[in-house]
Amino acid sequence: MFSNYLKNYRFWLLSLALIAMLMVFVRPTQNQPRPIYNYTFIIDITRSMNATDYQLDGQAISRLEYVKHSLRGLLAKLPCQSKVGLGLFTERRSTLLFEPIEVCQGFNDIDTALANVDWRMAWAADSRIASGLLNTLQMLEKLDTHVVFITDGQEAPPVNPRYRSDFAAVKGKAKGMIIGAGGLQAVPIPKFNHKGEPDGFYRPDDVPHRSTFGEADLNPEKIQGYNARNAPFGSEAAVGSEHLSALQESYLQALSTEAGLHYQRLTNVDDLAKALQIPAFAGQKTIAVDVRWQAAMLALGLAVLVYVRVVRGRWNTVRKAGSL
Amino acid sequence: MMNLAVDTPWWLAGLLLTVLPLFNSGIQPSTYPWLQILPIDPLSQAISVILRVCAMATMAALVLGLAGLHETEQSRERIAYGANIVLLLDRSNSMDNTFAGKTPDGANESKATAARRLLSSFVEQRPHDLLGIAEYSTAPLFVLPLTDNKAAIHAAINATATPALAYTHVSKGLSMALDLFKDQPLSGSRIVLLVSDGAAAIDPDSELQLRVAFKRRNIRLYWLFLRTAGSPGIFEKPQDPRDDNAGAMPERYLHLFFSSLNIPYQAYQAESPDAMQQAIADINRLEHAPLHYRERIPKRDLSGACYVWATGLLAVLLAVKFFEVKR
Repeated sequence: MFSNYLKNYRFWLLSLALIAMLMVFVRPTQNQPRPIYNYTFIIDITRSMNATDYQLDGQAISRLEYVKHSLRGLLAKLPCQSKVGLGLFTERRSTLLFEPIEVCQGFNDIDTALANVDWRMAWAADSRIASGLLNTLQMLEKLDTHVVFITDGQEAPPVNPRYRSDFAAVKGKAKGMIIGAGGLQAVPIPKFNHKGEPDGFYRPDDVPHRSTFGEADLNPEKIQGYNARNAPFGSEAAVGSEHLSALQESYLQALSTEAGLHYQRLTNVDDLAKALQIPAFAGQKTIAVDVRWQAAMLALGLAVLVYVRVVRGRWNTVRKAGSL
Repeated sequence: MMNLAVDTPWWLAGLLLTVLPLFNSGIQPSTYPWLQILPIDPLSQAISVILRVCAMATMAALVLGLAGLHETEQSRERIAYGANIVLLLDRSNSMDNTFAGKTPDGANESKATAARRLLSSFVEQRPHDLLGIAEYSTAPLFVLPLTDNKAAIHAAINATATPALAYTHVSKGLSMALDLFKDQPLSGSRIVLLVSDGAAAIDPDSELQLRVAFKRRNIRLYWLFLRTAGSPGIFEKPQDPRDDNAGAMPERYLHLFFSSLNIPYQAYQAESPDAMQQAIADINRLEHAPLHYRERIPKRDLSGACYVWATGLLAVLLAVKFFEVKR
């Protein structure tokens, strides 16, 4: 009586489906290399980051707010087991708030910490980007993390070209990226009073327009009113547009080349995520990936075939169920 | 109460496939010369229905498994011994010196290093606490909200190994620490543990705000003062009454301010890492009030169960195939 079942294609379909399902339990996971990332975001919280030249939902928001928004968006896009640390930059160095934390488990904590980043956390004024970057790279050297330094590149006061930071010590060792935040159009920088309330914008008289530290980089004979001791930069008042701020893209690109870092302008979350998730930053980790879906899908396909009329039967044949 | 959800909802469209067995029995039809001669057999009809239901269930189980059926994350209320603790850490320059006020060498660790080491072990001993971290120097730094993620807390404590910042502006730091409790439901004790090696005069405006905030948020305050040799202590009275003011003796005046808050307050003056360890052990012992907290039960994957069911049902269907006859 049982000899006929071998000719029955449905029997074979069901047998294969059952074998496929047994595979689900024999080999539920497969070890696959997956890229994971380790970043430490260093956010510039100097005053120029308050300049409002980004748009979000039709509203103008400051560079700092947009940076926070983008990083929080990026956080959700990072694969689990990636790690993210956070630090702040102002003056000429940065501080680390926390070392890299696993993103999935610590998502809430990192997200809240990012949301609470504020320019009022700055412990000193000044914005010496180059020396801050150098300091950051040296500080994080031991941490085995990719430094993501986010700034608008506005040096305040301007750097004297004679005293530029030398990145030779970290070049090649440092890994990471400079993210340029801000627009290319110069915009005024908001000013706040001692209570932290908005108080207009910085005016030309409020900011130094050139460095007056050390010796001038120009030939003394060409400086008007030069006096080696009393007026090494001459007697003329400096004029400039340092009270306005734009993204100093060429400067940041030059810095990133000097320090051996990548450069990317911050435009939106997707581009940021794409720029950061590059193979150069990816660490390989073998993760046991759930592959049960493969066998289950095969079984489902086979099971469906059992109940679909594959072979056109004769219509006059009576299909009788349960012909035991 | 079960809360079910799936990872990839569009897979649920596959549930439409389960109607297939309604139209097709999945059994090889047999020709029969004259149907009318066959009597209606309730048993056969019942078996037919059961087989179709089995087939539908198989497909449904497979689709649900593929969609990633799971029970969502739940929480249940528990009572344990613990507290909500905000660590308020001083990041001023002087923390990088030893208790003797010198640059650390091999034999003597800096105050920051000692604090880091002891706080790390303190965190280890408090499995049920929610911890948050704020830091301050010239400006307050928000580090981590109240969290049960101990790895994150350790990462933040380790990060204080980076060089310290500028000055000591304690009042702003205190208001930030109090703000960490802002959205926290009132459950368990709320503790601010201030670890500093100095103090600063508090201006009258912030003094008033702090008084209100400490009272309203129902805070217990511990001040672990790391005293550097030769510097004025918090319990010390000046010999010259003219020096008895907040500008000259900020530590003493901060202590007086804390004492006048009418909140549970305890100050520890540690002059060595050992004294500091004792103080921390003392706090650890004192703060064991029952705390209501919600324990998170992580989401439970049910796709495995779906696959088990699918396999079992497939086995039934296959077994039935052995009894199929072909004439």
